[in-house]
Amino acid sequence: MKSLLVVLGVVAVIGLTVMTGYNGLVSGSQAVDGQWAQVQNVYQRRADLIPNLVKTVEGAANFEKSTLTEITEARASVGKVQPGTAPSDPAQLEAFEKAQGALSGALSRLLVVVERYPDLKANAGFQALQSQLEGTENRISVERGRFNEVVQSFNTKIKSIPAVFYAAALGFKERPYFQAKAGSEEPPKVDFKFGGSAADKQP
Amino acid sequence: MLVLAVTAVLAAEQLPEKPARFFNDSTGLVDHGVAEQLNERLAQYERESSNQLLVAIYSRMLTDSSLEDYCTRAFEKWGVGRADRDNGAVLFVFIEDHKMRIQTGYGLEASLTDAECFRIIEGMKPFFRKQDYTGGASFAVAAMIEATVGEYQGSGKTLAESNADPQVWVLILFLAFILFSIGLYLYYRIRGDHLYDAKGRRRVQGGQPWYNWNWSSGGSWSSGGGGWSSGSGGGGSSGGSSFSGGGGSTGGGGASGGW
Repeated sequence: MKSLLVVLGVVAVIGLTVMTGYNGLVSGSQAVDGQWAQVQNVYQRRADLIPNLVKTVEGAANFEKSTLTEITEARASVGKVQPGTAPSDPAQLEAFEKAQGALSGALSRLLVVVERYPDLKANAGFQALQSQLEGTENRISVERGRFNEVVQSFNTKIKSIPAVFYAAALGFKERPYFQAKAGSEEPPKVDFKFGGSAADKQP
Repeated sequence: MLVLAVTAVLAAEQLPEKPARFFNDSTGLVDHGVAEQLNERLAQYERESSNQLLVAIYSRMLTDSSLEDYCTRAFEKWGVGRADRDNGAVLFVFIEDHKMRIQTGYGLEASLTDAECFRIIEGMKPFFRKQDYTGGASFAVAAMIEATVGEYQGSGKTLAESNADPQVWVLILFLAFILFSIGLYLYYRIRGDHLYDAKGRRRVQGGQPWYNWNWSSGGSWSSGGGGWSSGSGGGGSSGGSSFSGGGGSTGGGGASGGW
């Protein structure tokens, strides 16, 4: 009888611990998904700029069509990889990164090509778009950095005692990070600093 | 290896301290009188709109990181704008680096767009190329106010001013405490001789409360009150309106430029 009470007591304590721990994991997981939404927001913002950019650039006489086609295609493939919540499968995040990376590459190639079109570079509409692109690239790097911070705190929580004993059983999995590329302390914005920097240096 | 590189970056970096005012020129290149005016104008703008616009001019960046990253983290550290509105923006200028950036909080992204920031930066360049820092700063302040006006409603006070105000409940508690003390004092004064404990001994001697309260110590309270009021005036001691951040956040919006 007495031992039964002890067992019941122990079970109650464990139950309470798991319950409070569960709530902590839920809020941690929500924070990760919330920050993921922010990341998607800023990537979406970039994608939304592209039709306008393509239209503006197309207006410039005999602009190479291949660069524009590349961008349009990259934008389309980005739309196909849109996990609604922060992926728990590293491969899924990798696919997302790969699609977005292809778009980044296409954009920076376009901006290099633009260098050869002084009229386009001086175009007020294009300059405004360029500044929006720069700002968006910077937003992307800020939100990605914050995503990694939130994921780190969630992963730490999952791997710490006592959550480590029951997190997996309750369906909480470690979330993958964005991969920092070499020299990524620099935001990718540097790629876009083409016309501005050259013009800025003029006295 | 990576860890080493990261620590090296951190070691070399020094984020600027939270500025004390709205217009901060640590280089002294902006005309002093104009700097005062701009500071008051920005303070008045916060009173009207609750938007916190800052200007921070330094001689150079103390970091190995990028301008954007540096400004984003400085902005976050200062908490420019109200936490619930994120309605702050900072114009950073690094004179020797020939770099500047307008960093906008989330809440001002719609009015102070990247393109608008770019336009303002472009407008400042001709001034800065002529070393007319006063003209450039005045232009930027006017343009930033113009872009963001009407976005939010102000309370008539800056955050620094409302923080310095003694809280109303503190005053009420203080008054209640004084009244209570006076009441207690009078009560024992009048009834003093009739107070006995259960064994019939007198608790109070000669009308003095049994806890032997030295009433003259009350004088120190009013000096305590004086301490508060000097606290509320503390913001003005530096001569001009002071800035106090509300915990606003930035998502990296804005524009950069060089001259």
